[in-house]
This record gives sequence, C-alpha cells and structure tokens, in this order.
Amino acid sequence: MRALVIDDSRAMRRIVTGILTNLGYEVRDAGHGREALDVLDEGWVPDLATIDWNMPVMDGLQFVSAVRSNPAWRRMTMMMVTSESEHTQIVRALAAGAHEYMIKPFTADAFRDKLALLGLLPQEVAL
Amino acid sequence: MSTTDTGQRRRGSDSRPVITDLMDEDTILAVAGDAWISLVGEDEVLVPIPGEMPGDVLSSWVDVVGPWTGSVVLTTGRATAEALSRALLRESAPEVLDDEDVEDAFGEIANVVGGSIKAALPGPSGLSLPQVGHSPLVRNPADVCRVEVLWRGEPLTISVQGALPPLPVTH
Repeated sequence: MRALVIDDSRAMRRIVTGILTNLGYEVRDAGHGREALDVLDEGWVPDLATIDWNMPVMDGLQFVSAVRSNPAWRRMTMMMVTSESEHTQIVRALAAGAHEYMIKPFTADAFRDKLALLGLLPQEVAL
Repeated sequence: MSTTDTGQRRRGSDSRPVITDLMDEDTILAVAGDAWISLVGEDEVLVPIPGEMPGDVLSSWVDVVGPWTGSVVLTTGRATAEALSRALLRESAPEVLDDEDVEDAFGEIANVVGGSIKAALPGPSGLSLPQVGHSPLVRNPADVCRVEVLWRGEPLTISVQGALPPLPVTH
C-alpha cells in the first residue's frame, strides 16, 4: 500500500513516515499541498494521504478540495492529521471531502487504530 | 440632564478578555503534560518547578487569533531544545541534528501545544504557522499566563501571552 504524508514540519513527516513504514507502507512525502498535487500529477496516487491543515503555499483544506475535484484521485483516502481541534474545523474538513480526522498529538497506537477503522492496515499487519 | 458620548468612554463592546480570565496555570500545565506524553514519551513528565534558564535560549511559538489574540510561547535552552527534538523524533531522528532540524521539531511542539491551548479558549480562532527564534515581546503584562517547568531537570517556560497592548484607562 502507498501513503503520501503532507506536512510542513519535517519532524512530523519523519514521525508519520516512520509509523507507516513500520506498517509496511511505501511512503512519499510533501511539505505542502501544492507539492503533494505535483506527486499526484506524476501518476503516483496513494491509497492514503495524511494531511496537515496549516501549511504554507497550499493548506490542507485546499488540497482536499483539489483532490475531490479530480475523479482520477477519488479512490484515495484522506486523513487530516492536525493540531486544529475545533469542532467547526473538523466539520469543514469532512465537508470538503476528508474521510477521517486525527488531532495532534497522537500516539503510534492511535494512528494504527485510525487506519484499522478505515480498513487501511496492510493485511499482514491486521492479522 | 443629557450627556454627550464623546467616544472617550469605553463601550461594553470594547472590552476584551485577558488570558487570566480564560485559563490558569493548571490548565496550561495539564495541556502541556498531555502533549508531552504523546509527543515526547509516556514516561516524560513536566515538573512544575522553576529553574535557572541558561544564556543561550530558543523560543518557538504559534499565534492564536480570535476572541483572544496572542501567542503560545515555549522557551528553553538550545541544548534542551535539541534533546526535545531528538525525543520527539525517536527512531526517526537523524544521527546528526542540524539547527534546521531542531527549529523545525521545536516549532512543531509549539504547534501542538498551541493547538491544544487554542482548543481550551473561546473560538472560533485561527492558528498561525509556528515560528522559532527570539520570543515575541509581552505587550500587556496583565495578559500573560506563564508556567515554569523542568523537563529532565532542565528549565522550560510556557507562556500564553496577549498580542495587544492594554486598553486605555478611562475615567
């Protein structure tokens, strides 16, 4: 399975990449939404995108909307991973097309639980 | 007798809360403690004891803009910021952490703590991207809520401070 980790924090990209790699994912990363769209434009469409909200150039909400406007990227599951925890923000993200919402800080176990909920744990890990 | 409103008197709508109306040190400590456990490690605790800050300090902060506007600022020694960055990254940490790695990781810690503080404030509010460097100035000493803690025996402060100067005093 493939995942695209989108976060302007290099530290957070390393942490999330580490979790996903340990679960067997092939991972690429991007520092903002525009850079992530460039990855998709290359034809590298992941099963999962983890998306920070506040980023320079293109924020997470704009990225989600851009993905939703392209039917070729419809099968990609999008999970916001962000420190924005207001209820209205969560509703906005889900309304824009995100599938799941994870609030920072989180543990590796909580992250794995979210993936299980989304049916995105690689089979050998889920067993 | 009638009076004329010259605009000099403060109207009810001109009032704005200061941070101590909205939260106290215990709330900041609880929020930061939770963030520490998730980010830095389960056994990592913040001990609410003041310590002497070294000369070479680094601050990271995020701005909150909403019914209350200000910054959530973390300040510690540069060496402690590096240790914090390494603890945050754990097995993902590169062998050598350069200044950019430390500033990025320390900024992300401010982002997460700031996001949790924002959640405890009245909303809706916006959160800025994290910044790292010299702490923003305190504009209104009455609009500051600050805790001093020790992490692994090293001092760290978390300051939730207003960005706006005090309102003029009316008579």
